[in-house]
Amino acid sequence: MKKNIILISTLYGIALASSLWLYNQKPLLMEDVGQLLPTKIKEVHSATSEAELQRWVKESISNHEKISVAGMQHSQGGHTYYPNGIVINMKNYNKILDYNPDEQTITVQSGATWDDIQKEINPDNLAIRVMQSQNIFTVGGSISINAHGRDIRYGSLIDTVESFRLLTPEGDIKNVSRTENSELFPLVIGGYGLFGIILDVTLHLTNDELYQIRSRSIDYEDYPDYFVQEVKENEAIRMHIARLSVAPDTLLKGMYVTDYELVDHQETLAKYATLKRDTLAAPQKFMLGLSRYSDWGKNLLWELQSKVYVGQDGNYITRNNAMRGDSKFMEYDNPSKTEILQEYFVPIDEFTSYLDDLRIVLENEELNLLNITVRYVNKDEEAVLSYAKEDMFALVLLINQGKSKEDIQKTEKIIQKMIDVTLEHDGSYYLPYYSYPTQAQMDEAYPRNKEFFEQKKKYDPDELFMNLFYKEYSQ
Amino acid sequence: MNFRKFLVAQSILVAASSVVFPFYLLLIRNIGDSYSQFGWAYGLFTLTAAFTYPLIGRLGDRFGDKNMLLMYTLGMAAVMLIIPLLFEVWQVYVIQIVMGILGAVQKNTEKAFLARSNDKDTAGKRIGNYHLHLSLWSGIGIILTGYLIDFLTIASLFYLISFVYMIASFVIIKKHKDEPTIS
Repeated sequence: MKKNIILISTLYGIALASSLWLYNQKPLLMEDVGQLLPTKIKEVHSATSEAELQRWVKESISNHEKISVAGMQHSQGGHTYYPNGIVINMKNYNKILDYNPDEQTITVQSGATWDDIQKEINPDNLAIRVMQSQNIFTVGGSISINAHGRDIRYGSLIDTVESFRLLTPEGDIKNVSRTENSELFPLVIGGYGLFGIILDVTLHLTNDELYQIRSRSIDYEDYPDYFVQEVKENEAIRMHIARLSVAPDTLLKGMYVTDYELVDHQETLAKYATLKRDTLAAPQKFMLGLSRYSDWGKNLLWELQSKVYVGQDGNYITRNNAMRGDSKFMEYDNPSKTEILQEYFVPIDEFTSYLDDLRIVLENEELNLLNITVRYVNKDEEAVLSYAKEDMFALVLLINQGKSKEDIQKTEKIIQKMIDVTLEHDGSYYLPYYSYPTQAQMDEAYPRNKEFFEQKKKYDPDELFMNLFYKEYSQ
Repeated sequence: MNFRKFLVAQSILVAASSVVFPFYLLLIRNIGDSYSQFGWAYGLFTLTAAFTYPLIGRLGDRFGDKNMLLMYTLGMAAVMLIIPLLFEVWQVYVIQIVMGILGAVQKNTEKAFLARSNDKDTAGKRIGNYHLHLSLWSGIGIILTGYLIDFLTIASLFYLISFVYMIASFVIIKKHKDEPTIS
């Protein structure tokens, strides 16, 4: 019996050792929400302290390893990882470091989400100036893509950033603002994590305000004039979003606009100030599901949306709550398909003719287009990779596609056509998405991209900070 | 194998599987990228068990409950060493089939052992007592897990539980004073 025990123990020891050895060799697969670029990486470090981050950077320098920085990983072109590289997950690096309600500023670690900030500042009737429509993203990630949203008065995110601290490719920590190390400011903001790790950020806040929702149906041909004369000119309207029909019956013609108009009786704000929670969103999810599978579903969804959106007309909502859009209903689990985003910017006066040309592409191609929202962005050329060459409308397209190589090629062909149309109308496209655009399209939409990549090589000559976006477009 | 030893071995392995179960679910959910794959992984487990029960029952009669239980604990110790290495769906399917067979061995042996007991008059009391211990250890395992995971990575949890299954194996192998060599 003793023999048996010794034999079993020895065999077990060998098995355990082999398992541990194999475990260390195991490839770690990483992908972002786009799900089109599963990539083997070396390891993921979850950051909680500055000392730790600095140590990892220095270790990677001496080991000649590559680093990518990740927040919520909603960028869809492998912006947050690189083959055999180290991914630094910033989500737990999320403390609020300093909050000054009187000066309306807040300093947060870059892994903090907009939701974290909203919870902190809502009791003091303060709100965020510029962010995406959803509040699930990290501040560091949002800055790295220079996000924009429904706000129409404060510009892009870059305009609301006072300063930040950057962990550089040498492992040093630099203060960056418009006055200190100012050359880095427009490179890091909208810099897709290529210049270092944003440690913490100081942002300008604004007052929380009570708005009345104004929502109505409009024809796409009337939209630009409506926006310029009745939205932009009316100082009381602080936020705005519109939706364009993807239903075959009204493709790129039907629209709904939603304006958020400041009300006179701000003293009633307290009544609406409780932050709304994530809802179950089951009806939206079901309807989106129907529209994925049929034109009939798309037409029905558009009809129902009209009732829902116009039905909100007259409702009251605080700024903070208007910046807490639902995102749950867009979560999508399918083994062979995924949902991707595209965003195109066109000058206001090109809008109508642009849609007419885009419609021709969409009518001749097979693209499962589920949703289009329209936002407004002010001209803002501060960031080197700036998308707002003038005052523009931004169209966000939600597209359902297969994950196979053939599906990717098929979608690529159509998206490149859509981008061509966009560029013909002096437009541009947004960079956080899958690498469908060609290098030529990149060069046309972002004339300063060469300068951007040259600066990257100047600040990070050994290319410590790497991602698939850089690999694709820096050559 | 006497009843006491059987009870100790069963208690250990029930506690071990209670610790591992939620994380195993999490793992196969992460590897599979849809609920249908998740469903298949579980369906395979149950179906394999279903079809192997008759054979396992016969093997149990031939080789004895002790050896069957030993096969289960050693098998599970090995499976726990493999789980941290899985990264593709087909591998999960294979492991689910293996675990389906092992699970059937455990369940069948447990019931056969209890049924083989001679004192039919006190069977209710005896099994009641037996279940008290098992449920108690299962509860302890589940509660312990909530704390363990703060200190361990998921992979090291599987390694730890593999070791616990080995301890159960040794409990089964160990010769008892008042016990003949062959059970």
